[in-house]
Amino acid sequence: MKIRSVILAAGLVGFSAMASASSFIGTTNAVGNVLVNMAEALGDSTASTFGSNKVVLDARDDAASFVGSDGQVRGVNLEAALGHIRHQMPELQATDMQLAEAILAL
Amino acid sequence: MRLDIRPALERGVAVIAIVLGLTSLLWVLPAHSALTVKLEQAELSNEQRQASQKLLEAALKALPPRLVSQLDHEILLRWSPKLAHSVMGRARYDGQILLNQRWLDALVQGDDQTLPAGRQHATLQRELQATLIHELAHFYDRGQFWPADERGLLRSCARQHKSLGPVGLPVECRGQSQRRFTLSDNPRLLELAGWPARIGGRGEVERHNDQYLRTPDAYELSNPREFVAVNLEYFLLDPEYRCRRPGLHDYFSEHFGWAPSVAADCAPGLPYVNGGLDVDKQVLGQLDEGRIYQVHYLLAEPEGALVSRWGHSMLRVVMCAPGRPLGPECLMDLEHHLVLSFRAFVDDLQISSWDGLTGVYPSRLFMLPLSQVVDEYTKVEFRSLQSLPLKLTTEQQISLVRRAAEMHWNYDGTYYFVSNNCAVETLKLLRSGTDRLDIRGMETVTPTGLRALLRHADLLDESVLQDHSEALRQGYYFDSYRERYQLMFDIARERLNLPQQNVEAWLALAPEERSDWFERADYRVAAALLLLEQAAFRRQIILIQHELKDRYVSGRRMDDVALNETGELMSQLLRESGFLSRPAELLKTGYGLPQKQERQQLKQLTDERQQKLHGLAVLVDERALEMISTEHRRAVEANQRNITELGARLRHLHRESGRLVLP
Repeated sequence: MKIRSVILAAGLVGFSAMASASSFIGTTNAVGNVLVNMAEALGDSTASTFGSNKVVLDARDDAASFVGSDGQVRGVNLEAALGHIRHQMPELQATDMQLAEAILAL
Repeated sequence: MRLDIRPALERGVAVIAIVLGLTSLLWVLPAHSALTVKLEQAELSNEQRQASQKLLEAALKALPPRLVSQLDHEILLRWSPKLAHSVMGRARYDGQILLNQRWLDALVQGDDQTLPAGRQHATLQRELQATLIHELAHFYDRGQFWPADERGLLRSCARQHKSLGPVGLPVECRGQSQRRFTLSDNPRLLELAGWPARIGGRGEVERHNDQYLRTPDAYELSNPREFVAVNLEYFLLDPEYRCRRPGLHDYFSEHFGWAPSVAADCAPGLPYVNGGLDVDKQVLGQLDEGRIYQVHYLLAEPEGALVSRWGHSMLRVVMCAPGRPLGPECLMDLEHHLVLSFRAFVDDLQISSWDGLTGVYPSRLFMLPLSQVVDEYTKVEFRSLQSLPLKLTTEQQISLVRRAAEMHWNYDGTYYFVSNNCAVETLKLLRSGTDRLDIRGMETVTPTGLRALLRHADLLDESVLQDHSEALRQGYYFDSYRERYQLMFDIARERLNLPQQNVEAWLALAPEERSDWFERADYRVAAALLLLEQAAFRRQIILIQHELKDRYVSGRRMDDVALNETGELMSQLLRESGFLSRPAELLKTGYGLPQKQERQQLKQLTDERQQKLHGLAVLVDERALEMISTEHRRAVEANQRNITELGARLRHLHRESGRLVLP
């Protein structure tokens, strides 16, 4: 199995600036940060409308935290995604938890 | 003086000539009702006289009424054969303006072919007009023609300087107590020009102008007097000046109470290069000022490590999605929010702390997507972020962001860990961007210090943090993932009876050992475990990076070809990423903010560079993968399988239970 995308390279760039620089110079090189986003993108999502929507995709970590913590942890990305989904589907009757679970299962 | 090519020596001499000339000139000449410039040269032919007259009229017509009425001298204009070849014109000590006669015939013939190379003014006629304006600008600048209110302030500041000394001066008098020029020593003009007051310098300005990129004429950087003269040329003659240098355009318009009537339509939005390097996203961005809802002071909280206990200062521009009216709902348009972050640009794998202290790294303004910045701090560095709304007017917000865009294109400073770090740079940007006295009075070199000062001046809305969970929900606070991971582990441990005592022990297990537990996880626990697998994955990558980096930096051997090659590729990747923070290097034409002519070219160039960078990154990735140990490689792959498996399990459980499925 091949490791997808620019995880290592980006991470390495990030590392050079991050491990020493961000603790010392207080900064991180821009390229380095692709690392985190790539790590997120690894779980494939199904080809649904919402599954390719950035607002919803960006909310997956928050949705996992929300579901995992039984609603305790509620980040802004989830908040934005809930708003987005309800705006798109005004007739939808669903609780925040139901929606968070649905986001996670995309 | 104005040169077409500029040998350093001549420049120095010319400045002295002007200084000597003007002091006598201003007191000797009799008063007239307004400025008159006379061409007195009997030996000119009729055509030459006509062409000169036309030139003169065009130049005078372009002048602001205030300059004409204040500068009430009679100035004589002559074509001189004696000026050095490279000199276009000169203001002489006796109040005459000389133009280089070498251009006279070309002017008569309307021959633009003879125009010296590298000039920004379009035609020879314009170039000579600009020369006249340039020299008149020197006269005006020397004349201390302050508007009444400014004159009053300067008088009062001079008095206070005498009685209190430089240390006791109030903020509004900093840089104002010993003024000698109409424009070129005005602190506001100086900071817009690239000579801002030093933080902690009590009005003393930076010696070097680091705003040297995309200049219309590098001669403006010689000193503030030349800066004013060169910029008045463009303010008066270039209809695009207000688009390219909006801050200075506004400054001059306000000073003169007047603006040139011919103004170009500016290309829409403020252009910027998105440093996020997201392959799916356009690198060249266009920021619509009308969509700015708020600007926040974004502070990465200090962590335990010795030096980053200072935190990191940034600004967050809360942009509304296109079409959404300005309002609190824009807080949810996260993908449109931008972070303005001054960072050291490091293009070497072997970063050195010593270099950070001694000013080896450039300090540049990065414009980054919010999500990336948040992920980087909360998920990789485990630091929380506070996002505190700044209480600014709409005008101040726009002017601040506009100023940031100008810096993004023009500025390339030097990073000093103590004296010119992120807090200092952010404070300077806040000063020049908002032009508020209370911010001008602030002096600090630390991010938390800046927060304290902003709070003290009642410029921060900190009430947004009072309710912690509401702050998380609204994006005023982004919590470090360290706590989330702990919480997720506690839940999994309780539900599955995990033997591990803490999250670190769980993450340290081999991926296969963790996956043994997956089958027993219900939906909620699977969600918690998924988050933990992502943490493990990130941790694994960082371990590998450490290994590679250690091998490269410490064990570098001549015979380790693969390692050296990969290292070289890495360095190349870092160097190639430079345009993200210094986009000026992409363009050879134009000045200031790129306009229509440059945008098309920019789009193509940034797309190409992005592709190239991405290709390089993939290459480095492949090389690096070949070099890591089998053990590490297996772990990464197993970790990836775990993530996929948990994703599948969540979908499976979800389907089985017949829960809500989104289209």
